[in-house]
Amino acid sequence: MNKKTEGINQEITTKSFLQEIIETNITRRLIPKSMSWFGCMGGLSLVAFMIQVITGVFLMFHYIPSAKDAVPSIQNISHNVPYGWFIQRIHAVGPHIMIGMVISHMLRILFKGIYRRPRELHWVSGSCLLILTLFMYYTGSLLSVSNSDGRSAIPISYLYAIHVAGIPMAMGLFMGLHFFMIRNTGISEPL
Amino acid sequence: MKDYTKGRSPEMLEPFFPNEMFRHIIVSCFLVILEFVAVIFFPLPFQFVDKPAHIPWFFLPLYNLKKLIHNEVLFISVLALCALFLVSWPFLVRVRSYCLLFLNKIKITNSCTDCYSKVNYPLWQKPVPFAVVIIAIFLVINLCLINV
Repeated sequence: MNKKTEGINQEITTKSFLQEIIETNITRRLIPKSMSWFGCMGGLSLVAFMIQVITGVFLMFHYIPSAKDAVPSIQNISHNVPYGWFIQRIHAVGPHIMIGMVISHMLRILFKGIYRRPRELHWVSGSCLLILTLFMYYTGSLLSVSNSDGRSAIPISYLYAIHVAGIPMAMGLFMGLHFFMIRNTGISEPL
Repeated sequence: MKDYTKGRSPEMLEPFFPNEMFRHIIVSCFLVILEFVAVIFFPLPFQFVDKPAHIPWFFLPLYNLKKLIHNEVLFISVLALCALFLVSWPFLVRVRSYCLLFLNKIKITNSCTDCYSKVNYPLWQKPVPFAVVIIAIFLVINLCLINV
């Protein structure tokens, strides 16, 4: 009986804890009215990144990272895998939109002067994310061509490891830093 | 977490849910539609600038710069310097002299650094950094358009 009561109490505590988190962060949270639609560019960059991650995970199941099989495996995805052409095209086109969003987000921050103290580290982490995104595109573009054409001296398996693990891990780290600082110092208002 | 209610009347605030969330959902839907449309129409049948097909628009300045600078070490050094300049921008414009430009516009309370932390100035109100940014953007656009 005691164990049962303890279990119920714990469940209630967990529920109220979750409820508190949701209420504090979402339902009871108040923000300034001045937030504009253009302020969503950072969020859109994150959505674009998530689309790239989801489509990238799908492609990982079918892509073969070897100099000989890379191009045939992409052709296989495009022609034989159900909806493979669509996901592969989204993964190929997505970076153009993502980089466009990131650049417009950075230009807005730059011209509005929001990078100033105490938000210098927002800018630093954001610009590192832009550089990493460009690296991500570069390594990804080399994966879709065979190494025989001489565009890259690095073995395709190394490029693949950097593209699917190395850069995303670094990006995750910088994103965590970026969001943590945004939570602490807010978006644009003076402290 | 940053508390936006401090120093603001209730009229100056709005609820995060549903207002801000609704805004984000709308723009996210717009993004997804944009990607679907891009899948259909990309690559475009025409080219705005004369460039190889495998070079995307955002690498065009680097591609032309690479053609201008033949020395690889110098090219990588220039890229590293540009990246360093971009990353350290907030620290480069945080010098005391810029503060003097706004003496007649704001009340300085304690120190010069205060005027930076308390007030957000748009870039166009700071002549030197604004000129640097405009020149940088102009150079990047020029690098995109030149035919080396």
